[in-house]
Amino acid sequence: MVNMSHFFWNNIFKKNKSEIEIIAELWQLTPLFKNIPSRHILALAENMHVRNFQQDEVVFRVGDQSAGAILLLQGQVNISTSNANLAELVQGDFFGEIALAETEKRLADAYSVKPSRLVYFLKQDMQDWIETEPRLGAILLTNLSSILAHRLYKANMLLAEEI
Amino acid sequence: MQTVPSNAASSAYFQTFKVFAILIGIILASFYLLSSVLLPIIISFTLYALVEPMFNYLVRKNMNRSVAIILILVLMLSSSFLAISYALPQLLDQVSILKSKLPLIFTQLENFLTIYSEKIAVALDIDLQVSDILVSILSQSSSFGNTMLITISEQVFAITLSMILVPLLTYFILKDYKSLRNKMINWLPNSSFELGWLIYHRVTLQLQAYIRGVMIQSLIMAIVASIGFYLIGLDIAVLLGSLTGLLNLIPYIGPLISMLLAVLVASTMTPFDPTLIYLAIGVIGLAQLIDNLVVIPSVIASAVNLHPVLVIVGIIIFGNLFGTIGVILAIPALAAAKIIYSNLYLNIHNASTGYNTELIFK
Repeated sequence: MVNMSHFFWNNIFKKNKSEIEIIAELWQLTPLFKNIPSRHILALAENMHVRNFQQDEVVFRVGDQSAGAILLLQGQVNISTSNANLAELVQGDFFGEIALAETEKRLADAYSVKPSRLVYFLKQDMQDWIETEPRLGAILLTNLSSILAHRLYKANMLLAEEI
Repeated sequence: MQTVPSNAASSAYFQTFKVFAILIGIILASFYLLSSVLLPIIISFTLYALVEPMFNYLVRKNMNRSVAIILILVLMLSSSFLAISYALPQLLDQVSILKSKLPLIFTQLENFLTIYSEKIAVALDIDLQVSDILVSILSQSSSFGNTMLITISEQVFAITLSMILVPLLTYFILKDYKSLRNKMINWLPNSSFELGWLIYHRVTLQLQAYIRGVMIQSLIMAIVASIGFYLIGLDIAVLLGSLTGLLNLIPYIGPLISMLLAVLVASTMTPFDPTLIYLAIGVIGLAQLIDNLVVIPSVIASAVNLHPVLVIVGIIIFGNLFGTIGVILAIPALAAAKIIYSNLYLNIHNASTGYNTELIFK
């Protein structure tokens, strides 16, 4: 279950400035925000949603509806399906970015291995931002599509290996 | 896709219903708590839904948020002031004409009833006590008139309160709504955080589209009906037309009431001309035709897809619970409830049945 006191106080008080800066810096290192000026990432980071997860808490399950991409700010998150462990993510890694392209269902399970702090970048916030910054929005969407294309390429290779 | 075991499906139904019932309970309770200021809140949010695109446009053009808010408020206040100072005296004139006509309308109603009850009595071969029926109808209508007067005097207070509260509330909604909303959605537990956002966005998208659509629809109906009534030479054409536009907010029942009003006004015209009654009905019919063939498909394209029976039952129940506001709120409330329910069900159902991902992750 959620640690109530933790989760309550973190939402009453605004994220402190330095944490927003850390979030922006971590996003800047990801391929998603390649070529996007840091002050714009900082402005975006101010509207992102930081949430705390306890050890062994489910972040999402296969089939859950998805609202956005998630950046790991602290802790560790494992991605798995019913029969395989897919990835072990640490600070600065992001996951669930398919949700930015299509609000559909999560394709794997994710759970926190350690107490973790996760940053949600919601599709809706991304779309609102694209409306105000269409040129930079195009760069972000190109980045997103190359990430997804890379993922598809890898999946194809794996499939080809099996056949 | 794997097949869904029936017990999983039924437990998903049960869980969905549980969460849904809790949500509806919270919403109804807050409506009840806020009932004294419900009208200004609803008007403010309606205004917010209307001006939000303009606000976003100004902010996109690098205008300071506070400046944009003040500009919009000044525009809104001055345009409503202009509208009131121009239209209100004329509307009040028409209301006084209607008031002077009311006794005549009742006499006319009495005549109709006498004629038709005699006809019915002859046709069915029964002895109708016309005078008894009339006395009961008249006593009821006069008590209805009294209640109307009491309601109107109560409404004067509510309207004054609204006139002070609405600009203030609209200002704060424009300024703080988004951060307040973020805080409230952050209160959701981790497990329903994303779902909460999705449902919120789907509901607000639909409601905003609905509010904008309905406002445009009312305006078009008011204009069409006013012009129609004016052309056939009906008294108080603009008042009747505006009422027709407003009543159009209430599906199925509203147009019937406006038709009744138009017929009553037509029947009190001197000299009495029965063709005017048919013409008045024709105008409402034409307005409805335009509404259904042109306005609804083009303006309310994403109109909420609700079953007519559900709509009528919903209007009656909401009207009983929340009065006039409830009647207008019934459709958007039902539409929102439908989206919330279907999204909750989709999520809980998926969670209980899983999703085949073998192809993508291996």
